[in-house]
Amino acid sequence: MAEEKLRMKTQVPESQKPRPKKASEFPIVEKLNWLIHLHYIRKDYEACKAVIKEQLQETQGLCEYAIYVQALIFRLEGNIQESLELFQTCAVLSPQCADNLKQVARSLFLLGKHKAATEVYNEAAKLNQKDWEICHNLGVCYTYLKQFNKAQDQLHSALQLNKHDLTYIMLGKIHLLEGDLDKAIEIYKKAVEFSPENTDLLTTLGLLYLQLGVYQKAFEHLGNALTYDPANYKAILAAGSMMQTHGDFDVALTKYRVVACAIPESPPLWNNIGMCFFGKKKYVAAISCLKRANYLAPFDWKILYNLGLVHLTMQQYASAFHFLSAAINFQPKMGELYMLLAVALTNLEDTENAKRAYAEAVRLDKCNPLVNLNYAVLLYNQGEKKGALAQYQEMEKKVNFLKDKSPLEFDFEMVEMAQKLGAALQVGEALVWTKPVKDPKSKHRTNSASKSAALQQPLGSNQALGQAMSSAAAYRKLPSGAIGAQFTKPPSLPLEPEPEPTVEASPTEASEQKKGK
Amino acid sequence: MAATSSSDSDSGRAESNEANSKWLDAHYDPMANIHTFSSCLALADLHGDGEYKLVVGDLGPGGQQPRLKVLKGPTVLTESPLPALPASAVTFLMEQHEPRTPALALASGPCVYVYKNLRPYFKFSLPQLPPNPLEQDLWNQAKEDRIDPLTLKEMLEGIREKAEVPLSVQSLRFLQLEMSEMEAFVNQHKAKVIKRQTVITTMTTLKKNLADEDAVSCLVLGTENKELLVLDPEAFTILAKMSLPSVPVFLEVSGQFDVEFRLTAACRNGSIYILRRDSKHPKYCIDLSAQPVGLVRVHKILVVGSTQESLHGFTHKGKKLWTVQMPAAILTMNLLEQRSRGLQAVMAALANGEVRIYRDKALLNVIHAPDAVTSLCFGRYGREDNTLIMTTRGGGLIIKILKRTAVFVEGTGETGPPLAQTTKLNVPRKTRLYVDQTLREREAGTAMHRTFQTDLYLLRLRAARAYVQALESSLSPMSTTAREPLKLHAVVQGLGPTFKLTLHLQNTSTARPAVGLQVCFLYNEALYALPRAFFKVPLLVPGLSYPLETFVESLSSKGISDVIKVLVLREGQSAPLLSAHINMPVSEGMAAA
Repeated sequence: MAEEKLRMKTQVPESQKPRPKKASEFPIVEKLNWLIHLHYIRKDYEACKAVIKEQLQETQGLCEYAIYVQALIFRLEGNIQESLELFQTCAVLSPQCADNLKQVARSLFLLGKHKAATEVYNEAAKLNQKDWEICHNLGVCYTYLKQFNKAQDQLHSALQLNKHDLTYIMLGKIHLLEGDLDKAIEIYKKAVEFSPENTDLLTTLGLLYLQLGVYQKAFEHLGNALTYDPANYKAILAAGSMMQTHGDFDVALTKYRVVACAIPESPPLWNNIGMCFFGKKKYVAAISCLKRANYLAPFDWKILYNLGLVHLTMQQYASAFHFLSAAINFQPKMGELYMLLAVALTNLEDTENAKRAYAEAVRLDKCNPLVNLNYAVLLYNQGEKKGALAQYQEMEKKVNFLKDKSPLEFDFEMVEMAQKLGAALQVGEALVWTKPVKDPKSKHRTNSASKSAALQQPLGSNQALGQAMSSAAAYRKLPSGAIGAQFTKPPSLPLEPEPEPTVEASPTEASEQKKGK
Repeated sequence: MAATSSSDSDSGRAESNEANSKWLDAHYDPMANIHTFSSCLALADLHGDGEYKLVVGDLGPGGQQPRLKVLKGPTVLTESPLPALPASAVTFLMEQHEPRTPALALASGPCVYVYKNLRPYFKFSLPQLPPNPLEQDLWNQAKEDRIDPLTLKEMLEGIREKAEVPLSVQSLRFLQLEMSEMEAFVNQHKAKVIKRQTVITTMTTLKKNLADEDAVSCLVLGTENKELLVLDPEAFTILAKMSLPSVPVFLEVSGQFDVEFRLTAACRNGSIYILRRDSKHPKYCIDLSAQPVGLVRVHKILVVGSTQESLHGFTHKGKKLWTVQMPAAILTMNLLEQRSRGLQAVMAALANGEVRIYRDKALLNVIHAPDAVTSLCFGRYGREDNTLIMTTRGGGLIIKILKRTAVFVEGTGETGPPLAQTTKLNVPRKTRLYVDQTLREREAGTAMHRTFQTDLYLLRLRAARAYVQALESSLSPMSTTAREPLKLHAVVQGLGPTFKLTLHLQNTSTARPAVGLQVCFLYNEALYALPRAFFKVPLLVPGLSYPLETFVESLSSKGISDVIKVLVLREGQSAPLLSAHINMPVSEGMAAA
């Protein structure tokens, strides 16, 4: 009532002409739009709803903006269906407005009806040609519909209209979905140029470089991300894993403390912490951290792999067997896993199954000479010289291949073992790695004859294992080719930091040596 | 989460305890009953006596009783009711004459009310918008009764579908009516002139021709029909009119009207438009991809708060400079200007009750208010130069005075490692048991492995046998035989001694109804009593779930329970089609006996 009177008062002066008594003045429909909007943007939805209700009552549902905001609030509250209906009402009230169509499309998109959403967006695009949002959202819809070409077109035109981090991220994602790392990197580079302080973009770019094995650039970008936001846990995890690769376990551990505060239930975090402890030879702590990681992500084969590895180191072969076989169940296509399983089986005196596991490992693995070396050692110990020789030659092939690809150093213990075996099989002289480890080689050649006798004993002496592990972990002279391979294996999206393969990669190599002993 | 932890540490550094706080608590009244926005707060020397007053365009609790309040110190000096909710309140100098007391302008609905010496002085109304000529024509025809209501409706609908100029309220109302009401409506309203009126959404001031502190200023209005108007301060005529692509929400101006000026408007479509003197249309556009909640200009930088809990800095040409994340949603923003030290900073009130003060990206100070601050302004109040006025969500009023010795310095520890880095990792300790077991495994690993493998094989064998047996004797609650594919599940309700047992029987075949089925209960008669232990099942239509209810009376009072077996049988067959074991709950009530 009071409202009514007041309004009358305000309106009198501007319409001075006499009018029929009964024809009451209509209130201005948009009278309180500004108030609705102010309440809406400060997220005071209760007050907002009260004003909307009042306004709709007064205008008998004609106030389009009130309905529009009501629909927005419904959508925020999760009532997408109701909001969709209200947006459609809005679209009826003013059919020329692209905004309403955009919101209808957005609701459809949220309901997962991407096809319908694209249709409505296209409709809206007819009304408003130059709208960044329409182009971007169309791109997102096409991405979900797996029409990547169309999606790229739309996103590129969105970028031409207006540059936004979101659009860059989406484009990058599409390239990654298509498996085109280089193009994705190009996009992220441009994005970082556009907004150099966006830590998400920096982290993603760093992770992509990491995946490609361009460590220098990866570290640079991750470092930048950490400068702007020292608590960015994705960047910390990735940078930490790189530190681990270089043996800086203490630094990495300090950094992980920040992450442990931010996301205490992250499986990759505890996996990496566990492997840090492993590198520092604190095996018990390593096992408890890895077990926590496994508890948090029971289906992650990488954690199981690391657990298997640590248990092998601890000579708990029965436990190692369980973790490794669980890992194989989740990841049946990785040669190294079968090899580790074979190592465990050998130590559990189940040679038959060990051989089968090796056979599978050799079948699956393409570039890791350790698989063949370990197999050869087992065969040799079993007295199957012929088979051992075949594996030995296979290993040489792989070594040559790796050396052709990149000049790298092989792990000292692996080389030593190979030489011992080569001598035992009487092919030692033709060995391929003359350069990298000169000293040990010359030393061995002198007394190779005497060694061969020793080699007739079973090779895998458990006592030496722990030392082998630790030394390897500290040396970190891994064939970098092998690391690269590790990286490409997990199909990790850039936004999920999965630095754990880095961590695994090194100890993997390490573990194999003990077989050689 | 990471952001929160880091910001906590920031605030820990920037905020200071009572003793070395930069602020004096001058006044706090939680029951001041002021509900308003930052745009409706203004500080001015209204009487020309050197004593600055606070003008509040108060919306009243729940936006019901709009009032104009003038405060002097902690007390309300005058209070007068307003005709409608105020959208904005500003003070400005209208003319050169002495005494130079500023006038007060209140924007509300389609009008600006101007007060001098706190007395109503002038009312400016926005000009009517031109109506749609076609619509006008139609109503004229209706006036002369040359058109019947039904045709009128059709024609108007046609206009609504495609016309550039929207319809008037009268026509929109008419379109909503039922057939029966149209005639009366037309008769009642046909004589009236069609009007389209818009309202003011925001208002600010722009210096006319001098940059001085006390120079004459024009009013700049933003309207609901996406226009910006500049008014002459003396004659209240429209000096300039500019159009925007969306409805303006916040305005920020710089320069002088007669020389060169820049208008920045944050709009409802989430964009910010920058206009210059000569441009009728926006020159630059900033797309925020979120709604702006505040717009403040600090020197040449535009600081925008967005609903994504962040502050962004832009150049006056719309290039993004920086972004700062906030720990909570921003409610309102305003400018802090400490003239004596030449400091300009942005104040942002957050939903968690903090008021943060930033110079560019650097956090200068954090004030913890007892309630979420919904409006704030900073300036000369009373005779004190640097006063901060805040009102809270609950209607409270807080007045703080900046100490004259206070100097804002940027947080020094910004670059240091986050606090979390010093906390120790929570790594579980090893137990004696664990060590023992590890040792045992090392000694007898092979034997353990073999035993385990043997047991595993045995387990698998047993499981397979049990499965085969269950299949053979139809012990499962699912039957997949070609003739009667059935599904059964049972629900027990009640606390006892009487339970209600509901069997849901469903025929899962695609087309064939199941007939001639029977249900039989097997149970311990010493413990339970059922009215019927055996009954026929009606015809089962495919796909539907049939609830079959029966009561079970628990006879024992010793608190023991048992299993009731349900068998579904086919007439004339002794082997059940399927069966279910129902574990009855313990009866919590005493047996009736």
